[in-house]
Amino acid sequence: MNIQQGFLQRNKAVVIFALIALTMPFWFPLLGGYSGLDTKIMIFCIFVVGFDLLLGYTGYLSFGHAAFFGIAAYTTGLMLKDFSAQIIPAIMVAVLVSTLVAVIIGLLTLKRTGIYFSILTLAFAEMFHSMAMAMLQEWTGGENGLTGMPTPMLAGIKMQGDAVFYLVTLVAIIMFYIAKRIERSPVGLMMRAIKCNQQRLEYTGINARKYKLLTFVISAMYAGLAGALMVVYEPFVGHEFLGWHQSGEIVIMSVIGGVGTLVGPMLGAGFMLYFENVLSVDLGEQWLLVLGFIFMAVVIFMPGGFMEALSRLYKRIKQE
Amino acid sequence: MFDLSINAFFMQLLTGLQMGSIYVLIALGLTLIFGTLGVVNFAHGALYLVAIYLAVSINDAMGFGMALVLVPTILFILGLAMERGLIQFFYNRPHTDQILVTFGLAIVIQELLKWVFGANNIPFAIPSWGNGIILMHEWFPFLEGFVVYPKWRMILVVVSIVTVSAVFALLHWTTFGLVIRAGMRDSEMLQFLGVNINRRFMIVFGLGSLIAGIAGVFGGPVTQVSPEVGMHLLVPSFLVVVIGGMGSLSGAVLAGILIGMAQSFTAYDINLSTIIIYLITVIVLLVRPRGLLGAKGVFE
Repeated sequence: MNIQQGFLQRNKAVVIFALIALTMPFWFPLLGGYSGLDTKIMIFCIFVVGFDLLLGYTGYLSFGHAAFFGIAAYTTGLMLKDFSAQIIPAIMVAVLVSTLVAVIIGLLTLKRTGIYFSILTLAFAEMFHSMAMAMLQEWTGGENGLTGMPTPMLAGIKMQGDAVFYLVTLVAIIMFYIAKRIERSPVGLMMRAIKCNQQRLEYTGINARKYKLLTFVISAMYAGLAGALMVVYEPFVGHEFLGWHQSGEIVIMSVIGGVGTLVGPMLGAGFMLYFENVLSVDLGEQWLLVLGFIFMAVVIFMPGGFMEALSRLYKRIKQE
Repeated sequence: MFDLSINAFFMQLLTGLQMGSIYVLIALGLTLIFGTLGVVNFAHGALYLVAIYLAVSINDAMGFGMALVLVPTILFILGLAMERGLIQFFYNRPHTDQILVTFGLAIVIQELLKWVFGANNIPFAIPSWGNGIILMHEWFPFLEGFVVYPKWRMILVVVSIVTVSAVFALLHWTTFGLVIRAGMRDSEMLQFLGVNINRRFMIVFGLGSLIAGIAGVFGGPVTQVSPEVGMHLLVPSFLVVVIGGMGSLSGAVLAGILIGMAQSFTAYDINLSTIIIYLITVIVLLVRPRGLLGAKGVFE
């Protein structure tokens, strides 16, 4: 009983997230969200939570996380198409492939400062994008994208509609819990130390590069998992999955929500997808322009994003 | 596969030089701004975008001469405004924030231009004196038979050479250039010596923007005029800066031509030519992590 209570106490954020996420099909349509968008939001929650471990905790800004998302999506698509319609092996292989790619890219891009890192991750993602468009066209379908996958199956259940939503939400809750555990672990402490003062950390005799690579690979695994689930959600892979727009979207979500909080980026993901798919009806083509302005305003005036806004609000209410 | 005839070799050399000139022009502004201000400007591609759209509009309305004068001037002023209005508040903030805010600005500019001019490619009419072809075999007697090359692309190469020379002359033979070069080395020290670097940095930002303006006027007809061009050119230009060495001007020139040549000489194989610049980047990073001409101690 005591242990149980302790578990709930320690994981209040996870429990609240689970409650909000699992009840989403009931309240989300009231806000004008179509069914299916909630699944997409959950997928991007997985993506941004992993991304936040990298950006928010080590302070390394990657502009190429679409690479892992896209590579995993293509792998899942090909596995479903050519191996079996079962999603478990497909997702496992996809995450494995994106992890391997992340190790190689991480070794190359983490050689120098954070500026190099941002530029080079962007460049390598663009490399995979142009490879998918040209060299690997036979497999990826190039401009048209990868289509013709069978309906994904989990054991005997067809992965459609609600089934996908609950699967994805369950995965999201687990991944959020794992991220929370990483945050509290010694590795999480190392991550924050890297952001704070990497040089000082290295002077104490700790191999900072090892932890940077570890964090980078973990975040790529999250991205890969999200990419794989994206194909389960909608059996199609477009080359846009690998493009810089995708990488930029993740950056925008994380920053608008508030980096370094894990919860913030998920808020950001929800906000951005809601904005893109529901509010954009009134804005038409210019939704991205408006979002760009919001993003800039957040970076300039409120670097802590929504989470900073919430905590400021909370403080003010408490004072009165 | 690989054609070793002298004609084909010469043509690929020219194409490489022409592709390299655009990269050099954009990377020059990037590396100038990075070297002095320490800011990675993700909006530099967007500045190029502003330049080509301005060039097209002014060219259609008032002729090419006016575009040639007005576009770099407007871009210079825009650069100054951008530095004063936005970038200067980010000098003391983490590099990440600088990248984020310029990235946001890039999106805003790109979407604004898309809104005004539409998402499709706009034709850029080359002035009559720049149209046509150059008969290369008349200039270079070692070529066999009949070899021609578009005149405009040669003009672009010449403009690039002139611009690069002008920037080098400015930096090496003027007092202003001396201060800027000192600032690239150690801006803190310069401030201690009582030099007002802020105003000069503002001008450097304008200068980088002005070079993007020149690139836009002459590069627009070659690179197309559509909202995606800015970002498409930004990635190779970044790599040019990384390969050449962050903050190194001669490195940027060398790497720009190298990348242009590499793309041109691998054009026979679409697979190779799409990844060649990344291959070169990887090799350079492994062998010389600082870049070809990168100075020790710059942003480490």
